[in-house]
Amino acid sequence: MADRRYETLVLIHPEQGEQGAKELTNRLRTLIEEQKGTIGQIQEWGLRDLAFLVAKQRRAFYVLFEYRATPAALAEVERNLRLTDAVLRFVSVRQAENAPPTPDRTARRPEPEEPDMSLEGADMDLGEEMS
Amino acid sequence: MKERGERRGSSSKGEGRGFRRRGLGRRKVCRFCADKTMQIDYKDTRSLGSFLSERGKIMPSRITGNCARHQRSLTVAIKRARTVALLPYATSYP
Repeated sequence: MADRRYETLVLIHPEQGEQGAKELTNRLRTLIEEQKGTIGQIQEWGLRDLAFLVAKQRRAFYVLFEYRATPAALAEVERNLRLTDAVLRFVSVRQAENAPPTPDRTARRPEPEEPDMSLEGADMDLGEEMS
Repeated sequence: MKERGERRGSSSKGEGRGFRRRGLGRRKVCRFCADKTMQIDYKDTRSLGSFLSERGKIMPSRITGNCARHQRSLTVAIKRARTVALLPYATSYP
């Protein structure tokens, strides 16, 4: 089966701590490799604020995996993610073959900004449902 | 519709060479078409954030001027970002 380029962004429960997050990252790395996937890169974004509460948590460890794997391998990885309680959420996306790898600066951006001032110059006539 | 047209018209008054279509004001150009190097990526919360209203709603393309194709990929990216709590579904305060 042809393998494809995927990336998976995983949110790890903050109570795992730095150490636990590292261990889980390593576990997932070996899992992908066991499934005959090849890791492109792993980015650890560290503890970030969430845009809203997830499982009553305000923050989570974000880890981004870029790898090549077969669709069956991806299904297995996702199944494991779903079974792992320490994983709050994840999203897997198929990447274009020619897409450049995610630059590191996305990761190192300090604190997640509040949704900042939208569209400079656009007329703000979007009705706000406020009475 | 009419009243908006007038408003836009007056807001772009200062720009001398703005192209006018029946008083609708300057025609907006899709930012992603104008700058081909700009990628739409769900992880890039900073640039996606500029397409959200203060409430966290996705701005319609009639305001941002995005072309249909890029608006589609933009909404997908924003929705992906929301599933992993990078962007809000809604903010409690305006």
